[in-house]
Amino acid sequence: MSLRQIIILITVALAVMVVLPGLGRYGAYIVYVVAIASIGALALNLLIGYCGQISFCHGGLLGVGAYAAGNIGNAGQDMVVALVGAGIVTAFVSVMIGLPALRLRGLYFAISTLAAQFILEYLFRLIEPWTHGVSGLLIQPAPFFGLDLSNDRGYAAIAVGLLVMSLIAVSRLLRTDLGRRFILIRDSEIVARGMGVNVARTKLWAFAISGFLAGMSGGLLAFTSRIAAPEAFEIALSVDYVAMIIVGGLGSLPGAVIGAGFVVLLPEVAQRIGETFGAATQTAALREMVFGLLIILFLIHEPRGLNSLASRAVRRLRRTSGPLSNNKRSSASDLEMTQARL
Amino acid sequence: MLKARDVTVRFGGVVAVGGMSIDVHAGEIVGLIGPNGAGKTTFINAVSGTYVPTQGTISWRDEDIVGHSPSRLARIGVGRTFQNVASLNDLTVLDVVKVGRSVHGHSRGLREFLCGSRADDEALTERLLEPLGLADHRHSPLQMLSYGHRKAVDIARALASEPDLLLLDEPVAGVAPAEAFALAGFVKQVRDLLGCAVVMVEHKMDVVMSTCDRVVVMAEGCKIFDGSGEAAQSDAEVRRVYLGD
Repeated sequence: MSLRQIIILITVALAVMVVLPGLGRYGAYIVYVVAIASIGALALNLLIGYCGQISFCHGGLLGVGAYAAGNIGNAGQDMVVALVGAGIVTAFVSVMIGLPALRLRGLYFAISTLAAQFILEYLFRLIEPWTHGVSGLLIQPAPFFGLDLSNDRGYAAIAVGLLVMSLIAVSRLLRTDLGRRFILIRDSEIVARGMGVNVARTKLWAFAISGFLAGMSGGLLAFTSRIAAPEAFEIALSVDYVAMIIVGGLGSLPGAVIGAGFVVLLPEVAQRIGETFGAATQTAALREMVFGLLIILFLIHEPRGLNSLASRAVRRLRRTSGPLSNNKRSSASDLEMTQARL
Repeated sequence: MLKARDVTVRFGGVVAVGGMSIDVHAGEIVGLIGPNGAGKTTFINAVSGTYVPTQGTISWRDEDIVGHSPSRLARIGVGRTFQNVASLNDLTVLDVVKVGRSVHGHSRGLREFLCGSRADDEALTERLLEPLGLADHRHSPLQMLSYGHRKAVDIARALASEPDLLLLDEPVAGVAPAEAFALAGFVKQVRDLLGCAVVMVEHKMDVVMSTCDRVVVMAEGCKIFDGSGEAAQSDAEVRRVYLGD
């Protein structure tokens, strides 16, 4: 991410913060729900979209983060401590889940994460001292850096701030040796190994960093919903997150945010439409079907997701409106590149 | 420096390399030639950690390296290039070269994370990409490059780790003659500069003759000749292997 993009990102974040007080409670709620999901989707996109390790236990990992943050917060710690603690705990669990990836590849590893998801769900019900079993763990509001921000607008500010920090951090990470190794392993593990990359260690780093972000996202989820219960972190949530990064764009940072917004807001929109026509229950039932259909359509027609669709539209607009003489060459090569990628 | 003794690689019943021995000294460019199927690439793979030899010993600077992984070998200064170059989707030429550099050990991860790498990019471009004619392509994804350029990127990637032993597997195969000589010339320059040892598997005899200090000829998994290029051309056994009885 260039300096310009960072500035744009921070400006957008500040704009959101400024608008927040005028949004009302529902508006603020939408902002933080999307921002929290975006952090989670970013974590998963780092693992799947950049390092090529398909995972179906992201929902479970968010749960680990939620329980960890809840317990630390309930022990009277600051929310910042709770979130960082949740990140560290989840990173550790994520690395454990990633260990089979040292032996298994592709779909075989994906199956092992599916197993991990079910084990986590089981543990959430089993370890009652920490999770309070099926009834769920109630979470007390915690101060943020000593400030009382435990209201919808406060949560929105924290979530947006954290999202911006995560986006900048991940984009910079991708421009380090470690980030380049992630991409190399995704493109070809055999080539990476041949070039002398320590594939095992690199993969575990991907799991650790992705787990850290997932833990923070899960922790925020816990504080905002004030409860962590096992049924919130089931396989359906994992599938939702995979849907987010496929719809948004595998291996794209804006894609994680776009996909999260899409997947989170679609049910809200569906409900509104349903309410208008007095058929809320029917549209709610349609949700899963629409997601399934969307994933299939995107995989077939736009594997790089909404983000690629958007950037191509922008490019086309620029080409038709901009001065032809000095734009011609660059857009022609851009087009070639897009075609080559497809 | 590199000492291989009686190296044997078997795949089931097939003996790809059978009792190959070779010594390579610092600052030397050795051409490893031989007909197709002679076991040249298999031998290189055994040295670079891709295969584990069934039998025999390989040592590098008196350290036994049999069974070392490529990443461990990279850290002690053994680098290699590949016969078939990878077609990677998103990584640019500079990215690949940086990955190559990073395997040598010292990571600059944190500094890059905090400060970016622009100055670094320029230094790498000047040192490795300019001489290989890749400077203009440094921000192109690998798959946009021609075959010859990709071969050059692979060499730049291997050189970026500043190896003390460089194993080149057909570095100029399929590359246009003029480019081939330029690549070979660069390998020679690098050797003069770094003093590294080079083992080069190659079929193009004119390139081998003009680049290598010594030629080792393999046939059917064994070494049949070891000496100067001129002597190889007049050796009866070599002529028999290449031209038939």
